[in-house]
Amino acid sequence: MKTVFSLMASAVTATFMSAALAESMLPWEDDGVLLGGTTAAPAGELSKEALDQLIEEGETLFVAKFNKREGAGRPGATQAIIPTKQRHLNDQQFARLAGPDAQACSSCHNDPVIGGAGDFVTNVFVSEGFANANFDTSDPQFSNERGTNHLLGAGLIELLAREMSAELVKIRNDALHKAATEGVAVKAPLVTKGVSFGSITALPDGLVDLRKIDGIDTDLVVRPFSQKGVMTSLRQFTVNAMNHHHGMQATERFGTRWTGEGDFDADGVINELSADNISALVAWQATLRVPLEKVPENAEWHAAATLGKEAFKSQGCADCHRTELPLTSLKFNDPGPFDVAGTLNSQQVEAPAVYDLALLEWTQQLPRNENGHVLVPLFGDLKRHTMTDRVNTLLGNELLSQRFVGRDVFMTSELWGIASTAPYGHRNDFTALDEIILAHGGDARTSRDAYAAATREDQIAIIAFLKTLVIE
Amino acid sequence: MQLRLLLNLTSLLVFSNIAAAEPVPFDVPHMVEEARQAGVNHAYTGPWEFFVGGGVASFDCNGDRFPDLFLAGGKNPAQLFVNQSVAGGPLKFKQQALSLSQKHLTQVLGAYPVNFNNDDHTDVVVLRLGENLFLQGGPDCTFELANNGLGYDGGRDWSTAFAATWEADATYPTLAIGNYVDRSAPGTPWGTCAAGEFLRPSGTDTLRFDEPFLLEPSHCTLSMLFTDWNKSGQPALRVTNDRQYYRGGQEQLWRVDSNRPPRQFSSSQGWKRLRIWGMGIAEADLNQDGFPEYALSSMGDTMLQTLDPDADEDRPTYRDVAYENGVTAHRPYTGTDLKPSTGWHTQFADLNNDTRLDLFIAKGNVEAMPDFAAYDPDNLLLGGLDGSFTETGEEAGIALDTRGRGGAVVDLNADGMLDLVVVNRHTNTSVFRNQGARTDWGHRAMGNWLALELKIPKTNVNAVGARVSVKTGNVNQSRTVQIGGGHASGQLGFIHIGLGVAERASIRVQWPNGDWSHDYRVFANNFVQITKGQDEALYWYPRQH
Repeated sequence: MKTVFSLMASAVTATFMSAALAESMLPWEDDGVLLGGTTAAPAGELSKEALDQLIEEGETLFVAKFNKREGAGRPGATQAIIPTKQRHLNDQQFARLAGPDAQACSSCHNDPVIGGAGDFVTNVFVSEGFANANFDTSDPQFSNERGTNHLLGAGLIELLAREMSAELVKIRNDALHKAATEGVAVKAPLVTKGVSFGSITALPDGLVDLRKIDGIDTDLVVRPFSQKGVMTSLRQFTVNAMNHHHGMQATERFGTRWTGEGDFDADGVINELSADNISALVAWQATLRVPLEKVPENAEWHAAATLGKEAFKSQGCADCHRTELPLTSLKFNDPGPFDVAGTLNSQQVEAPAVYDLALLEWTQQLPRNENGHVLVPLFGDLKRHTMTDRVNTLLGNELLSQRFVGRDVFMTSELWGIASTAPYGHRNDFTALDEIILAHGGDARTSRDAYAAATREDQIAIIAFLKTLVIE
Repeated sequence: MQLRLLLNLTSLLVFSNIAAAEPVPFDVPHMVEEARQAGVNHAYTGPWEFFVGGGVASFDCNGDRFPDLFLAGGKNPAQLFVNQSVAGGPLKFKQQALSLSQKHLTQVLGAYPVNFNNDDHTDVVVLRLGENLFLQGGPDCTFELANNGLGYDGGRDWSTAFAATWEADATYPTLAIGNYVDRSAPGTPWGTCAAGEFLRPSGTDTLRFDEPFLLEPSHCTLSMLFTDWNKSGQPALRVTNDRQYYRGGQEQLWRVDSNRPPRQFSSSQGWKRLRIWGMGIAEADLNQDGFPEYALSSMGDTMLQTLDPDADEDRPTYRDVAYENGVTAHRPYTGTDLKPSTGWHTQFADLNNDTRLDLFIAKGNVEAMPDFAAYDPDNLLLGGLDGSFTETGEEAGIALDTRGRGGAVVDLNADGMLDLVVVNRHTNTSVFRNQGARTDWGHRAMGNWLALELKIPKTNVNAVGARVSVKTGNVNQSRTVQIGGGHASGQLGFIHIGLGVAERASIRVQWPNGDWSHDYRVFANNFVQITKGQDEALYWYPRQH
């Protein structure tokens, strides 16, 4: 059995190999980073030094402009999450709709820092990718257009989601146990970290009625990523995005184990991204610092923001944009427990890597509650909500549902960093905070109306408060 | 109408060199035999009459949704093993006494579960040397002999095959029983095959099977299966027969029109004469064209039949594509014995959850036939991307020196990975637990999966005849709920579908009356119940303790 140390060593070696190769390259050589050369993902709890090295490798990959020699492009494969062949080889390197549509992750995630959000020009087009539509059109009947989210604090978001999923699963198991023991149907409210996801009814024979769940998938897994809230983990999102946006295919989904081919996308490069590469990318994203609630130096702004934060709560905005959610543990396991085959998960490896985010300086600044839980200031609830109604359809522009989620249902946007990431809305088509607030409908109708009915001073105060949520 | 098959067949017609097979790049399930630890002590024995048979019925008899096992014993008594496993745990069974006479418990060759009276308990049809038994299921795995109440005299034949279907809007099932050699006929056993029986329920208010129709001619049948071979919605009866004893016989397909006796398809109707030592039938739509393929186990080559380009909707012409697809399984794949194999139970199932159906074949010398392999390990042929199959029995761990007969590929511990039961002659039944793919550090989970339970209120409660279509991305998989086939072995319970890397799936059901359901959208790695007429699927969670 490999020891944790030897597995850690392999990760470190990979990092050094990248550096060594980079050093041996001539400045004008058109090669990028070393890819696919190692297959062992890190395992066990990493030391600060090992974690730092992995993060560095991840950043290298995040900003790398992948080229054809490294495997960029996918002439033989579509952008689909499930490996899907093109009907005809597509020799176009880039395509705006079906992708690949970027040479680097940082091509879009760069505002105001690497890993940040992107302007309207960086919008991506989400379609299932099974229809082999190679033509380029942004007509919404073919895809949903989405803005680029920032990734800061993503590690804490995933940890919150994992803890919530685990608690919901426990609620389900407890209800099933009680139903079986007492021989009666048991209705169980699905409440975790103060967020309600409706209820389930467990029956004595082990069946579960899921008709009353709210804002979550039927497997009770909180999927915190994407505007739609349909991606489980940074790892899953990374594997998806590397294929979609760059044509860089991860072996853990596109390799021979599942597709029978080392070069599924038929671009002449085999095993483009190893599990180690994906781990490095995950490590970098998971350890990105969180945005801040900045105290304005301007006294007038400070006063307005203070009033605005209270109004934000009293008008019901914080019902969904929860100012904070408590997190029990800062240990980030990768691969994680809730991914399924196709994304490396904890059942597929001897031991996941453990990144102790408490080793990072920025986590030590986060407030804690009386139980010692970290209070994650995300301004979100990790729940999906209906965002349109009969009166207000401004956020109802999409025509396609995504991964079983209705077209006008979206994940509550985490507002941390919102002052630094205009434009707003899932399509990035609102230029000001006032506009996006007034665009809310559906589940947010009451608080939106409260804002609309508020005095101009109160409205300005809320904006002043939101402008303190910055990425620096 | 000429069936457009050529295009579809191209995916099947891939040459596969069995001798030079490369290791598969896919997960090979590690099957660990743990019958005795699981509490299953049972062997199938007996003289010549029990060289065939040795079946197992796999079904839930106590309402906990874990499959229980009814094992034929031949000269030994049949036994019922109640499943006490927990989700993902070691297999655990407890033998439970059957309230049947010693006479009825012995001379059992096979068993098939079927809910013939549409109540809450699955019933069992027991095939015997002599009187067959219709056992009406009750609570907690109790059974009551129902022959008299059903007007069925049980016969005196050597019964070796069974199939059931619900015709059109019938309340009760139509049954078929296949019989082997007529031991009382002059010149027996050569050329003296006993006729099979076709049993339509008589009356509507009270279930009776008192008007049997004899399937003549019959040719020493060893497996039968109602099948919708031409997508007509009308069942036909596919029968495989043992050429060892018949004279002038062949494989058969009976046309089953409502309210008419079955009629055998003839050569003038496109049915090609085929003579094999037919032991078992497995059905699957391997190329997803809506028309099923059939694997037929035999002595020597296994057949894989697909519709020929000359076929049309009234013309069941088949051709064999076993060689092209690498499923002939004609001799042992390991060891030094190069004599022909003897195949028995056969079943398609996705054992590694990669979305592609695999083929299991139980193997074993009839008794001491010198011209056939003595060491004849069971086959596990993993389905590949190009339609071909690759033998992995040895790597999987099922290449035991046993004489397999009946079997069941079924998830015994509700962990989403199919396990395996093989009834052996003389030696203990094999019960293999699928532990996932072996690695140098242990076992890892394989692909994603779904397990699906279909329900219809009041009539045909297990939805026999329903077709399930599961869509993940561009991949469509289909399954049909059937009772019959295999070798003396049947099963009822969850329908297992491997999903590979798909995280979710859309399910549509074509109910037995032909109606298609809407899409049911479900997440991978769940047990799902779909009830006809209900908008939402329910999830089921197996016991953990």
